[in-house]
Amino acid sequence: MNDERPATGRGWIAEVLDQYEGPLTRYAARLTLNVESARDVVQETFLRLCGEDPTKVNGNLPQWLFTVCRNRALDVRRKEGRMEAVTTGQAEVRAASEADPAAVAEHREGAAGAMRVLSTLPEKQQEVIRLRFQNGLSYKQIAAITTLSVSNVGFLIHTAIRTLREQLASRRL
Amino acid sequence: MGIEKNDPKLTAFALGELDETEQAAIQTEVERSPALRQAVDEIRETAGLLTKELQGEARIGLSKDQRQAIEATAVGAALLPMTLRAEGGLGCRLMESEPRPQGSDLHTPQGIGTTTKTNSTGSRRLRRYWIPASLAASVVVIVGAGYSLIPRTFSSLSRARELGPSGDRLVCAENAKGINRDIERTALLSEESNRAEYKRRMAPTPGDGTVVAKEGEGRGVDLNFTGGGLATLPPALYSHNVFLSLDPRENGSNGYQVPFAPGPNEAGAQRLAGARSTLGWVDSVEAGRLRMPPDGDAFSTEAFDAIVESPFLAIAQHPLSTFSIDVDTASYSIIRRILNEGALPPPGAVRIEEMVNYFTYDYPQPMGDHPFSVNVEVADCPWNGDHRLARIGIKGMEFAPDERPPANLVFLIDVSGSMQGPTRLPLVKESLKMLTGELSKDDSVAMVVYAGASGLVLPATSGHHKQAILAALDQLQAGGSTNGGAGIQLAYDTAAANFIEGGINRVILATDGDFNVGIVSQSDLIGLIEEKARSGVFLSVLGYGMGNLQDSTLEKLADKGNGNYAYIDSLDEAGKVLVDQIGGTLMTIAKDVKIQVEFNPAQVVAYRLVGYENRMLRARDFNDDTKDAGEIGAGHTVTALYEIVPVGVEVELPEDIDAEGVDVPVEVDPNAIAAADGVDDEEAEIDPLRYQTVAGTAPVAANGELMTVKLRYKAPDGDVSERIDYPVTDLRLTLDDSSDDFAFAAAVASFGMLLRGSAHAGELTYDDVSELASTGLGEDASGYRAEFIALVAQAKALPDARPAGN
Repeated sequence: MNDERPATGRGWIAEVLDQYEGPLTRYAARLTLNVESARDVVQETFLRLCGEDPTKVNGNLPQWLFTVCRNRALDVRRKEGRMEAVTTGQAEVRAASEADPAAVAEHREGAAGAMRVLSTLPEKQQEVIRLRFQNGLSYKQIAAITTLSVSNVGFLIHTAIRTLREQLASRRL
Repeated sequence: MGIEKNDPKLTAFALGELDETEQAAIQTEVERSPALRQAVDEIRETAGLLTKELQGEARIGLSKDQRQAIEATAVGAALLPMTLRAEGGLGCRLMESEPRPQGSDLHTPQGIGTTTKTNSTGSRRLRRYWIPASLAASVVVIVGAGYSLIPRTFSSLSRARELGPSGDRLVCAENAKGINRDIERTALLSEESNRAEYKRRMAPTPGDGTVVAKEGEGRGVDLNFTGGGLATLPPALYSHNVFLSLDPRENGSNGYQVPFAPGPNEAGAQRLAGARSTLGWVDSVEAGRLRMPPDGDAFSTEAFDAIVESPFLAIAQHPLSTFSIDVDTASYSIIRRILNEGALPPPGAVRIEEMVNYFTYDYPQPMGDHPFSVNVEVADCPWNGDHRLARIGIKGMEFAPDERPPANLVFLIDVSGSMQGPTRLPLVKESLKMLTGELSKDDSVAMVVYAGASGLVLPATSGHHKQAILAALDQLQAGGSTNGGAGIQLAYDTAAANFIEGGINRVILATDGDFNVGIVSQSDLIGLIEEKARSGVFLSVLGYGMGNLQDSTLEKLADKGNGNYAYIDSLDEAGKVLVDQIGGTLMTIAKDVKIQVEFNPAQVVAYRLVGYENRMLRARDFNDDTKDAGEIGAGHTVTALYEIVPVGVEVELPEDIDAEGVDVPVEVDPNAIAAADGVDDEEAEIDPLRYQTVAGTAPVAANGELMTVKLRYKAPDGDVSERIDYPVTDLRLTLDDSSDDFAFAAAVASFGMLLRGSAHAGELTYDDVSELASTGLGEDASGYRAEFIALVAQAKALPDARPAGN
């Protein structure tokens, strides 16, 4: 008797969704500065994924997902004309206000100020830091996603960590 | 070297981002310097903090609607994204090939299934099943044979093409407000005709069949049978309304689809019990389990027709023997596969003519006016020394590769869920890649796939652009149920659109034949292919897979579709069919080829045609050009064997040879035949007999001829047949005198007879077969004959090696 496994398309997509839906949306929200748009961007990303051959994409999945997501998010942002620089706390507040209130509260209480400091950093540094520490991507992957060089990425992370450290240290004093 | 505290490389090191060499180098330095060590610690501490904070950050994700919309799209697999938004907030997915509207919003199927079902009171009612949204992923929609559902309110769907008689299958959603919608049925069969059709096709045999629970998008889930014929539903399906497709093994066609609600569900049990009375073979329903009566042997759903062997026919009643030629080879590959798995093939899978025709014989090329040569050899019958064996061999004209006319090919590929597994879709891909390798810039290939829906995945592409074709093949994935009717329609439309006058126009169908959606009745499917064959596009059917191969359906499709049927179980076989014999597979040189043999009563008392049981024709069909028959491809050889009882030898003829099941032409009194003038009136006439007159044996019968072999054939694009007459004299050859080809063909036929448990096999043993085959081995450049001999040994070694005589 042939053993039927679930249709490749549907089962695989569900798994990918489970794993990446949250992280991608979170990531996209930083770029679009708008949760609703971020959701649309992520949905479109996954729909594009539906059209891909899993065997081709599987080896490189996070990179593919984040790249597609990023490009789309930037498109959206351009179209929606929100080119203003992210000011202190602005993005955070926006994103947070539409997010799960309980998580927000917990986040605010627990923050050692690291998040606050992070939000003062240049956008590129923030993005790269998030890709690394929130999404566990490697320098190489981050470079591919953001179209920077690996040493750029390394530099940004290095600088961000150093700044963070200094700021936190000085705050504690 | 001296790495600084402030070096980004140190951070990279701390985070484990360096390659081995660099990592090791810096490691050394760090170990030597407390300052560096501290820096690294600090970096890691900060990193840890960041990780913790960031991962604790507010979580956001997609809305439930969005997520389900993605999943719904995924079910369509890589084939065709199709979601339409309709007015009123209803979303539907149409299982059909249409481009997705730009910017369409995607709505969640919230799990409504609809179907029609016939109940035992004879009325046809629509049923709507409400399933909680959380189970939306398990929506069950089944459309039985011949039904389809199209919601009337969706104007965007009105442009949906009708795909074959049963139309499209639809999964619909409703928003939370529960808007009613009208469901309109398209092709309807009355319950009476359904039941009659069903009964006609089935002999109720207990223990046959498989119960297939359909879940989700009509995707089949095979239930696992335990030894006693119990099928257990996976627990996940217990709370669902699940439809069963009861699939009888014989005839390979789907039975009815009846709802089955497992668990302590009285209504469900009753419905199924109702089904039992209609279908006659579901034994009982226990909670969550369906009991099938025991006696079923293999629980595969492979479907082979039953074959009733032709008996000896007396010349007195049956002076004429008429049949259609057959170049299919599938039966041999299937038997080979089954034997190599260590089992005996079911008798219904043993088509002797296909076994014999699997091998090529050294018949001479045609030289005259006709596209094939006719060669007859008569010698001793190996399995009965008193009888003669006549071998009729036809050889189709060969073409050099560069003489082949341009080909317009459409690959029609089954990518449904059942095509997963190494001997299926991956082998299909490799096979077609091989074929692609043989094509040139004058050829074109288009590719249509079908699963729950069908789609053109490659438009007609020149054989020169091999990369594009290979890439399209590579991207195929299996998933979903099988709507063959839709695929067939699209493939032929595509072939017609690229038709090459005077060229090769062919659909190449690669499938396991396990159609279970849309047109599912074998006869409807065959009706469709018959209609399509009239367009001048030929068909090659390539069967794949084991365990659910619908051999019966595939053979009939090839038959009615002006095509050939081969079973591909290995790369080797693929090479044989699609490279070595590409000429034969692609190029039809003669169609509707029929043979009629008249035996001379002065020489022959009775005869038996070996094989060709399901190719028999009526005597009057020979001259009737409207009657379809088999096709010969370039270079093909076709062999038919007659076992002949000479005058003076006694033979036991069955009493009632026109008994049920034996499809013999209902001949009349030979006097009446002899009296016919042979002129073609409106209705085709039977030829006047050569060896018999009204008064008795004709004078010509004394000339020592054994028989006359007559052939009719048409040009591939012609409508009027040509005729060849070939009188045969028995030269009294002994078996030793006979050719290698004769001995080998006889050996293959006798192997088939043993496998079938033929009553005519007499004292024949497997050793006899091997020995005979060895004498006929010849050059055997391809090694197939040696492989045959090994196969005979394999069969002999099986425990139940000699099934009881029929």
